[in-house]
Amino acid sequence: MIDSIDRRKFLGGAAGAVAAFTVVPRSVLGGAGGQPPSEKLNLAAIGIGGMGSSNINQCGSENFVALCDVDDGYAGKVFDRFPAAKKYKDFRVMLDKEDKNIDGVIVATPDHTHGVVGMACIQHGKHIYLQKPLAHSIYEVRKLTEAAREAKVQTQMGNQGHSSEEIRMLSEWIADGAIGPVHEVYAWSDRPVGGDPWSDFPVMARPKDTPDVPKTLDWDLWLGPVQHRPYHPIYHPMSWRGFWDFGTGALGDMGCHILDPAFWVLKLGQPTRVEATTTHYQPEVASETYPRAAIIRYEFPARGDMPPVKLTWSDGRLMPPRPRDLEPGRRLDGNGALLIGEKGTIMHGSHGAGGVRIIPETKMRAYKRPEKTVPRVRGGQSGHEQDWIRACKDGKPASSSFEYGGPLTEMVLLGVLAMRFKDTPLDWDAANLNVTNLPEAEKYIHPPFRDGWSL
Amino acid sequence: MEQKNMTRRGFVGAAAGVAAFTVVPRHVVAGSGSAAPSEKINIAGVGVGGQGGHDIGQLDSQNIVALCDVDWRHAAGCFKRYPNAKQYKDFREMLDKEDKHIDGVVVGTPDHMHAIVSMAAIKRGKHVYCEKPLTHTVREARMLAEAAREAKVATQMGNQGQAGEEVRLLCETIWDGAIGQVREVHVWTDRPLNGTNNWYWPQGVGRPGGQDPVPETLDWDLWIGPAPMRPYVGNRVYHPFVWRGWWDFGTGALGDIGCHSLSPVFRALKLGHPTSVEACCTLVNNETYPVASRVTYEFPARGDLAPVTLHWYDGGMKPPRPPELEDGRRWDTNGALFIGDKGKMYGGRLLPESRQRDYGRPPQKLERSPGHYIEWVIACKGGKPAGSNFPDHAGLLAQVVLLGNVALRPALKADKYLGTKLLWDGDKFEFTNVPEANQYLTKEYRAGWAI
Repeated sequence: MIDSIDRRKFLGGAAGAVAAFTVVPRSVLGGAGGQPPSEKLNLAAIGIGGMGSSNINQCGSENFVALCDVDDGYAGKVFDRFPAAKKYKDFRVMLDKEDKNIDGVIVATPDHTHGVVGMACIQHGKHIYLQKPLAHSIYEVRKLTEAAREAKVQTQMGNQGHSSEEIRMLSEWIADGAIGPVHEVYAWSDRPVGGDPWSDFPVMARPKDTPDVPKTLDWDLWLGPVQHRPYHPIYHPMSWRGFWDFGTGALGDMGCHILDPAFWVLKLGQPTRVEATTTHYQPEVASETYPRAAIIRYEFPARGDMPPVKLTWSDGRLMPPRPRDLEPGRRLDGNGALLIGEKGTIMHGSHGAGGVRIIPETKMRAYKRPEKTVPRVRGGQSGHEQDWIRACKDGKPASSSFEYGGPLTEMVLLGVLAMRFKDTPLDWDAANLNVTNLPEAEKYIHPPFRDGWSL
Repeated sequence: MEQKNMTRRGFVGAAAGVAAFTVVPRHVVAGSGSAAPSEKINIAGVGVGGQGGHDIGQLDSQNIVALCDVDWRHAAGCFKRYPNAKQYKDFREMLDKEDKHIDGVVVGTPDHMHAIVSMAAIKRGKHVYCEKPLTHTVREARMLAEAAREAKVATQMGNQGQAGEEVRLLCETIWDGAIGQVREVHVWTDRPLNGTNNWYWPQGVGRPGGQDPVPETLDWDLWIGPAPMRPYVGNRVYHPFVWRGWWDFGTGALGDIGCHSLSPVFRALKLGHPTSVEACCTLVNNETYPVASRVTYEFPARGDLAPVTLHWYDGGMKPPRPPELEDGRRWDTNGALFIGDKGKMYGGRLLPESRQRDYGRPPQKLERSPGHYIEWVIACKGGKPAGSNFPDHAGLLAQVVLLGNVALRPALKADKYLGTKLLWDGDKFEFTNVPEANQYLTKEYRAGWAI
């Protein structure tokens, strides 16, 4: 819900700008090195039918030279807007053929192909804007982060909230000791909102019927590294999020937004323990889709002079108990988080600590805000894509580069992993990507790829 | 689950002697006054096809004089076991015709009928054994408790575990101060699902369309009773048993298991009315209870006892596994965890198990029960009130359980209520901060039905 409002805002906010631009082919063929700010980047985009379309709009200041989608029906409208851009179905073909024409790539495919597509872009030395969560498995995230570092390309994960004004305010307040040392964090999301086959997040067994693949869709490419299964319209274009093989569930979808503020301002790093509890369901459903609701409990050790933190995530409309500091009559949002400190509580909404307040409001009003010391991103949350463009040009990292987005996603995906082993605490050795008390977790940390695919 | 079943098996075992009795028709036709201890009481059953039939079986050391069920096919087994009992479809007719022959009534109908049947019996001065949860609405639970107190009849709710040794040891251990002041309790169940495999009954589903022919053996109008009429649909959509998931007929996972698993919490911590109840759940509609929920109650200090926060989880959600629970020990699908200032109890035992072994047994303070069903029989004969009698235990327990269902009402899960804590005044019997919630303390009864 909230996300679609944000999306509408994006589209609305960017509409005028995009329409005004025309695509001008870039005469100078450049590598992935920094460009002077005056010069336009040559961009490509992979997975453009959904969120990618919005990301493209936000980069309308640059040249789009190539666009790629496995479904030119779903992506048709976006293709039509850029008649000068070359059209591709297979990102590998595009990267080969357009290698010399592309500076950076926007990737907004389903989660299960983030890893292979992202890695291919990096290996071609391209700057990359990659949707959240960074990848589908923790191993892929780690490899992407390392590869980007080595290739020295500019990166940005699509958690646009990380460029917001509010997340910086939160950072300054926490550093100022506004609520004292923080021991507890609660975060929640109302997703998945449905739990029925027709909603975005189905809870169901694998479909048995095998409708024909639409002519516009290359189903084999859509599957990418995942083991083959027959096409079904439930997977594409949206509901893949609810399937273990393709998406990362409500936590993967929203965690990179809602947990981002706490992860950043509390410098959480990686947890040492995580435990999930979920709704029950039939085995044939449990093996296929994410549960209707989950509670994930993370334990983070002390960091410097900051005490250990217990972080509890709830989804499927489950929420934390109402915070004591919230005044009567005030409600919780459908998505949000609470940071509980020794001297007070901070509440914020979904993306980028939106609506961040100390509660109760009397305490917020009495609070003398510290000076703004954290550098701002131009345009705030709406400037997230442009911050990446800026990074590509000036060589200084974007706000949520993989150096940050990678570890954030690893933490989120560890919670997704814990859902595979409900009610079992997992002891996590982040350095070695190893659940020390449960060796069988390895197959989910580093799942095997289909033949012909590799990172 | 395991624990619950063990408890049930324990009971059945303890009551096995009962089987030795034969039904001797009672010669002396008596009113509903107390029968002498040596004398058998005359029992009628209403709703005997399911758990009610099991209850009758546990009480058949007494005289089973009349049996009533709206579905004679479903009740056939029970009818057959007691060939001398008169058979009825309509409990009102039974109570009219058999008034002079009945001392006590066992109510094992679906939840939406409990209060109607129990109140009719109490008004006639009959003793009542009623299945859990005591009633379908909070107000009904309060009314039944008051009516039973005034009528001075013997009552017992069907939460068998209350008579067990486990709950006594739990109380005595906590009262002994073994875990200090208890401020936090977590109770959970996997219902409405059975493990990861099967539904006990569906929740989170909508109403099916269409209708099926009503079986000849079933009086659907009587089955619907005080609920709004709806077409009969077969294939275990409503009847038998799976009515539990529907707002109109059942009380969901919380109603089904709450009266079992919260009863020890009330006893051990001497709880009264809570000051607040707050609930969140998966998407919920006006037809069935949600797939999973969390309900949090806050109880004020009671004398020397500290305030308590009680967290309920269902649909398979569990509280965090306590670090004191040794690796390899089962973290059960149904359970209760008491967190005190000086320790924790899980499954009625101190954590870790080495602490329980060091501790041994608490000083005995509570009298042991002769058995849950016999408790009621003794009370009917003028003896000590049964452990889960309506005025002293079951009425309050059921009210509090059902307050949780009020907080789960779809209308109160709308966005504007997200995170709202309903403040409860038990004396005034109202929610003080969200007046619109008060309508759900009761329900409308179909024309022709009243409590």
